[in-house]
Amino acid sequence: MSQPSSTGSFDVASLVEDVNLRRVAQYALVVFFLGFFLVPLETGIMTAIKTNESVARSLPFAPPVGEGFTLGNIQFALEQLSGSFFNSLIMSIPATIGSVLFGSMAAYGLTMVNWRAQMGMLMLFVVGVFVPYQAVLVPLARFWNNIFPLARMLEPMVASIPFFQGYHAELVPLVITHIAYGIPICTILFRSYYQSLPNSLVEAGKIDGASITKIYRRVILPISKPMFGVVFIYQFTQIYNEFLFAFTLVTGSDAPAAPVTLVLPAIGASTSGIDFGIRMSAAFLAAVPTLILYVAFAEQFAKGLRTEA
Amino acid sequence: MGQIQLTGLTKRFGDTVAVDDLSLDIDDEEFLVLVGPSGCGKSTTLRMLAGLETPTSGDIYIGGDHMNYRVPQNRDIAMVFQDYALYPHMTVRQNIRFGLEEEEGYTSAERDERVVEVAETLGIADLLDRKPDELSGGQQQRVALGRAIVRDPEVFLMDEPLSNLDAKLRAEMRTELQNLQDQLAVTTVYVTHNQTEAMTMADRIAVMDGGELQQVASPFECYHEPNNLFVAEFIGEPMINLVRGTRSETAFVGEHFSYPLDADVMESVGDREDLVLGIRPEDIAVVDATTDDTPADDAALGDHELRMDVTVVEPHGDQNVLHLSHPDQPSADDALQAVTEGMHLVTRGDRVTVTIPPDKIHVFDAETGTAVHNRRHDQEADRTQLEQ
Repeated sequence: MSQPSSTGSFDVASLVEDVNLRRVAQYALVVFFLGFFLVPLETGIMTAIKTNESVARSLPFAPPVGEGFTLGNIQFALEQLSGSFFNSLIMSIPATIGSVLFGSMAAYGLTMVNWRAQMGMLMLFVVGVFVPYQAVLVPLARFWNNIFPLARMLEPMVASIPFFQGYHAELVPLVITHIAYGIPICTILFRSYYQSLPNSLVEAGKIDGASITKIYRRVILPISKPMFGVVFIYQFTQIYNEFLFAFTLVTGSDAPAAPVTLVLPAIGASTSGIDFGIRMSAAFLAAVPTLILYVAFAEQFAKGLRTEA
Repeated sequence: MGQIQLTGLTKRFGDTVAVDDLSLDIDDEEFLVLVGPSGCGKSTTLRMLAGLETPTSGDIYIGGDHMNYRVPQNRDIAMVFQDYALYPHMTVRQNIRFGLEEEEGYTSAERDERVVEVAETLGIADLLDRKPDELSGGQQQRVALGRAIVRDPEVFLMDEPLSNLDAKLRAEMRTELQNLQDQLAVTTVYVTHNQTEAMTMADRIAVMDGGELQQVASPFECYHEPNNLFVAEFIGEPMINLVRGTRSETAFVGEHFSYPLDADVMESVGDREDLVLGIRPEDIAVVDATTDDTPADDAALGDHELRMDVTVVEPHGDQNVLHLSHPDQPSADDALQAVTEGMHLVTRGDRVTVTIPPDKIHVFDAETGTAVHNRRHDQEADRTQLEQ
């Protein structure tokens, strides 16, 4: 190294040259909001791995020291939640796949195939997006309990499937409801994507002699993979996190078919007060499936957002 | 057989008429080019032929069979799209094979063989396992052609297939397309807005404007015997010179000059008052007027001669395009354009004597645009001359 070392000729002034009040304020704001969002998260994690005693004695965001550290909370929460995890997943996965697939089909039919009254049909879908959950709760409960008690009908059949219990049949109406409720928004999302695709793809398919269903299956479905990533994540999160329908149709946290969102509020609560450690552990555990999904589909998600924009 | 008949074909989109009462016969194995400015209805006509649009009225026959209600697959046609419409997620092999899958009478192995055979014809056999986005524009174009050829249709429909290629490749593909059409002996309907493509490739050109057919004729006829002003203006580069004016006893009177018309021309003009005089730029003879042996004043000019100034010279190498204007109206728009030989050197600002040969003029009715008189030519004689 024949050159003089960089420290020798280092110009300190160049570092501060850019500093002005505006920049300082900008960074201060960034740091503030970083803390604003991260501190509660950090507090939650710390609480989850502290013993009750430690929670009571130390600052909420301070890490556990020595005896205060425990994995017992997480273990306990996992035991409590394991059944409802299974319920949640066997409910959300079919419901997501169903609504995304039907939504994509409907969007294909509404954008890339020509027929009369398309606009009117689309309007119905748009209206469907805006129907508030609360407005349909009572009819929904009456329908699935009195008019068409599907859960009771399916109970013996579901019980015969390995790993399933009879009470899992209660989730079937919930799945169907979620599919029905998810189709409009999925359709609108897919529609905007299909509108950006060149129409000549479908036309080329027609000339090649493919039927409308074959064009969908062989051309449009494979092309819409990135959009599937986006809609799948969105829809899964919606359905997994949903509370109102589950509460109406499965009724109560002590029901054996209750999904995670129903069980979560009851965990760690007892007559002697709330066990914050257990509650925080349960909350983080409940969030894990959506996190896994985001990570797994991150690439598709980014690609889908890019193509949509 | 691939002969096509269109009778009274009309297509309306709401209130707009895209194609208006189009009747056209296309022979088997003919290369017909549908040409016109954008929005003239040429693409709509092609799409109706393909079965992608339903005609509002009129009939389509391919090979003598009524086609109006048949789906594209059963029309024995293949189409090449402007954007190629290759399926992006499939390899070239799958792209070409896709059209074959619905075709009866092939076993799976035969389909694969056919794909390879077609790829070899087009020189893309080594690209079969690539995806479309790994191919250049020209290669994508070939794949699109392959997809059309593979089903061995009676009719090829092409919608501006060369418009996405660069100039050099376009010229190459033009020749290749012609050879291919010759080899396969398939009736081809080719849509373009590019008059060079139309002139160079077509057996016959169908010129359309505003949804109406203006003329169907060989390139030669479209150029030398245009039916009307639109065809005359559309075909030819640089554009035909058109001068608006009126008729006097024996002459055409324009704003800047009068031009005596021969008796037979006057006869076909009849009692029309407003006329348009047309002359192709290459038919105008230009002589430098600054040399000594030219007459000094306008009076000494011949009947069909004009004195003009050169305002712009565009050298093309093989030819020069001159923009000429009248000496007393220097600010007016270029009155005429002339094409001279590349070695015929004229500079900007030169005064020249322009001769408009009376046997090369076209006369149009200014109101209706129809051609009243076209340049005289003995087609046979012209043809032998070209062949020499």
